[in-house]
Amino acid sequence: MIQIFNVVKMYDGSNPVLDNISLEIPKGEFVFLTGPSGAGKTTILKILFGWESFEKGQVLVKGINVGKLTHRNVYTLRRSMGVVFQDYKLLPNKTVFENVSFAQEVIGHDRKTIRFKTWEALKNVGLTPKKDAYPAYLSGGEQQRVAIARAMVNSPAIILADEPTGNLDPDISFEILKLFEELNQKGSTIIFATHSQEIMKVGNHRVISLNRGKVVAS
Amino acid sequence: MQTLISGFRTTLSNILNNKQTFLLSVATITIAISILGLFLLLFFNLNGLLSNWNRQVQLIVYLDDDITVSQKEILEGLISNNQHVESTTEVSRETAWAEFQSNISDNLKPLLSLEFNPLPGSYKIRFRSSDNQLPHIRELSETLETQQGVESIQYGEEWITRFEKFMVFSKIFLFAIGGLLSLGLILIISNTIRLSIYSRQDEIELMLLIGATPTFVKIPFLLEGMIQGLAGSVLALFLIGGVHYYLKSEFQSSIDSMGMDFQFIAEPFLFGLIGLSVLVGLMASYISTFQFLYLLNKK
Repeated sequence: MIQIFNVVKMYDGSNPVLDNISLEIPKGEFVFLTGPSGAGKTTILKILFGWESFEKGQVLVKGINVGKLTHRNVYTLRRSMGVVFQDYKLLPNKTVFENVSFAQEVIGHDRKTIRFKTWEALKNVGLTPKKDAYPAYLSGGEQQRVAIARAMVNSPAIILADEPTGNLDPDISFEILKLFEELNQKGSTIIFATHSQEIMKVGNHRVISLNRGKVVAS
Repeated sequence: MQTLISGFRTTLSNILNNKQTFLLSVATITIAISILGLFLLLFFNLNGLLSNWNRQVQLIVYLDDDITVSQKEILEGLISNNQHVESTTEVSRETAWAEFQSNISDNLKPLLSLEFNPLPGSYKIRFRSSDNQLPHIRELSETLETQQGVESIQYGEEWITRFEKFMVFSKIFLFAIGGLLSLGLILIISNTIRLSIYSRQDEIELMLLIGATPTFVKIPFLLEGMIQGLAGSVLALFLIGGVHYYLKSEFQSSIDSMGMDFQFIAEPFLFGLIGLSVLVGLMASYISTFQFLYLLNKK
């Protein structure tokens, strides 16, 4: 599903953020990506969804050569993925329902499908009673559940989560982890970046450890 | 189609969320298009004045005193065969002298004691009314000038040519003003759209993150620029219409005697102004969105 070969990424031209990294994540796997701040977790995720370029190596996602994509066709890659961020990235002027349906609007679904799938996604994360609320009126855990609903609403093959529990209490974090595991059981490949040992212990999935841009354990 | 509908919805919501910036931009466009429109109005009316003068122009062919009958017949034949000629009046030397005597002021009365008639006989030729009669007058003038028995020809060519040159200069001036104002508008609108883009930066980044095409992202901003252009130009035309109405109601009676009418900008030019304004809005917003997406993709 995801193959990374000898990838080098530098921001200032001298110190590599990713230093000759190679990884393979089969279809349907749940993987924790861990490491201290600056290890390169976020950079790997950004490369996977085509937000960052890289200097050397090759990245294949579902057979698509990411390095060969231009800004005009990178959306084909992004539509096969769902992305969840630590800061949720919800639109403050849209309701919960609108935030989730927005992910379908941008890829051109018709209104009937949008309504149906949004409702389904909100039901899966248990947020139907709050569908008309604005993000500012939700707790951190609820906001992250909205972000997960938005990531899952298009039934992506891959879900990338960048520290999705970083701002949450342990109890809420485990609930969020459980949601990702449910998505994994439905067939999505999950890459879950975290530095929380508790989450990794509870999750019991393969862990890829990074340090200073290198894979130190997998 | 779905993209366009969604684009329209987003555009409307953008406009409502940034009403002040939008109105400021529309006001700027209105002022710029009004300036251009007022120049155009002035140009149209000067052009109307020129056409009016053109229509009143008559060709006077002064004859040699010793012109023969056959020479006169040739001249009359050339004049009557010209399809643009409406009427010809022959003024004999005697008639010219009599007219001169009756019109002369008291200061010049001593001239009347002349013992001979110094005035030549002439033909006064009027042409059919058309906006383009000056070339026909020139053509006939050149033909008659070479004929025997013709002393000289007069039709006020010098001042008409000078006025025509002024109109050519006005056209160039109008284009230059139009070009400069358009350039200024592009800069202003692109900055307004840039503000709108930066106020929605997070939303745009999110759109791209979740798989929106660059076109999907651009459409609402392009529409916003076009709507700004359209609204600005329509308001400007109302403003120019108001100025025209005022001038007509206040001064029409003064120019009635000249057989003139205050003209409004011709329809094709009205649509041209609107089109120009919409195009300027589109170009400006295209530049802003292109720059923004370019910088985003450079990462």
